[in-house]
Amino acid sequence: MATLTLENISYVYGPRTPFEIKALDDVSLTVREGSVTGIIGHTGSGKSTLVQLLNGLEKPTHGKVMLDGVDIWEKPREIGKIRFRVGLVMQYPEYQLFEETIRADIAFGPKNMRLSEEEIAYRVKEAADFVGLDPLLLDKSPFDLSGGQKRRAAIAGVMAMKPEVLVLDEPAAGLDPQGRDTILNGIRSYGKKTGSTVIIVSHSMEDMATYCDDIVVMANGKVRLSGTRDEVFAHAKELTEVGLDVPQITRLALLLEERGVCLPGGIYTVEAALKALKPLFQ
Amino acid sequence: MKNIALGQYYPAQSPIHRLDARIKVILAILYIVCTFLCKSALGFAVLALSAILLILLSRVPLRTVFRAIRPILFIMMFTAVFNLFLTRGEGDPLWAWTVTPKWTMQIFEEGIYSAVFMVIRIVVLILGTSIFLTYTTTPIALTDAIESLLSPLRIIRLPVHEFAMMMSIALRFIPTLMEETTKIMNAQKARGVDFAHGSLIKRAKALVPILIPLFVSSFRRADELATAMECRCYRGGKGRTKMRVPHLRFGDFLSVFLMLAFGTGLVLLNYYGFGYRM
Repeated sequence: MATLTLENISYVYGPRTPFEIKALDDVSLTVREGSVTGIIGHTGSGKSTLVQLLNGLEKPTHGKVMLDGVDIWEKPREIGKIRFRVGLVMQYPEYQLFEETIRADIAFGPKNMRLSEEEIAYRVKEAADFVGLDPLLLDKSPFDLSGGQKRRAAIAGVMAMKPEVLVLDEPAAGLDPQGRDTILNGIRSYGKKTGSTVIIVSHSMEDMATYCDDIVVMANGKVRLSGTRDEVFAHAKELTEVGLDVPQITRLALLLEERGVCLPGGIYTVEAALKALKPLFQ
Repeated sequence: MKNIALGQYYPAQSPIHRLDARIKVILAILYIVCTFLCKSALGFAVLALSAILLILLSRVPLRTVFRAIRPILFIMMFTAVFNLFLTRGEGDPLWAWTVTPKWTMQIFEEGIYSAVFMVIRIVVLILGTSIFLTYTTTPIALTDAIESLLSPLRIIRLPVHEFAMMMSIALRFIPTLMEETTKIMNAQKARGVDFAHGSLIKRAKALVPILIPLFVSSFRRADELATAMECRCYRGGKGRTKMRVPHLRFGDFLSVFLMLAFGTGLVLLNYYGFGYRM
């Protein structure tokens, strides 16, 4: 368990060249311990850059990334240890699979941590379980798996390191609805069962509304809104301003309210809407 | 990964940027010939001066230009040292050290000259070609130029267009592959791979998790590209027209003339030059 805090982070790509781009501009943020936090924003809003700063793959141009109150760049030689504590799943992680079997690939991270054989075997099983990967698939080659299965295996590869903070960049991009639900459910249950902090980057409001406790909205390299799910979705107008939207079902609820239907606030999922609307028909 | 000077086009407005790419290829070849025409100290001084002039003319910052030199620093030093110690001169050696009774290391005046000349020649060679080709010409313009320059070879049934297409695809995918490499490296770093530390064998082993995914994705990409090209009815160079048809202008002819004059000047300097001659 760990708290992650960003203090006035800025990041510039290609400084002092004609291609200079300021990707992040004075971002300050605290991620609540044990929460599932969603970072949402459009393409180019700086969210993918942000996640690479969280585990020390990139060093911020200005500002500090604090893990449990300690700057992760305090000892640059030990940045490797930070990467075991803050696990990062990059976009399209299935392209990083390389071992002969899925089992060996999931074990790759724990092996780098120099854990015992038994511990590794246990963690592989546990991680495969979290993402809903059939144990029969573990001895297959990554090439024999479907896209969704490969994605799950790659995510399990990071989960097996049991990071205190699990960061995922677009974990559900390009998957069918069922695959998306399986993966996001698995990620949430990992966070809740191990008590780890989970950060999910996405641009799907629907997914964020269903799976996140807290939400951070980014636009043009800055944090526009942040807070709990209810707090953020209460600012429907500001969300539209940055080109995002509240979930479709929330919009429907708002329209119904405008037309005089009395509904409880905070409807962000179809299930919640169902629960609120059902009594009205009876 | 971010600092590799390969296909590093530097966008700017300069007389060299404006030249026709075909002319730039010819100029680069002529310039290489020029570096080998130099035989006297004065000639080399003029050559070095011309390289500086070219850099200034191209408006590419010095820092960027010298990045092209960095990879060959080792070869340069190697050549310099060899020339310094192995050149035999006519006069007395300036410095001698008897290592074993049979073998003495000697430095002659001629050795110093030829070491300096070699370094100048290599630097100018690299700078000249990178100024004319990589820094001021986009890869696409470059392959178009090569296709156009090689087109006479079609008479002997050489698939010139196909060569050019292969080259432009290869060039086009260098940045993509580098981006992909960075991504995969980052992903594996996040899983605890350490590329920077450990023994040589350990570091070589750390490359396996990079190379395998890279190969797999290259094959996938090649396959996708082939399909995409077929979908757009690509069938080779026959009857294919160009979107950008290049035209030669006055400046292009002038630049070739100047380069020829420069070469002639260098040859003349060899006869009338002062100082040491090779």
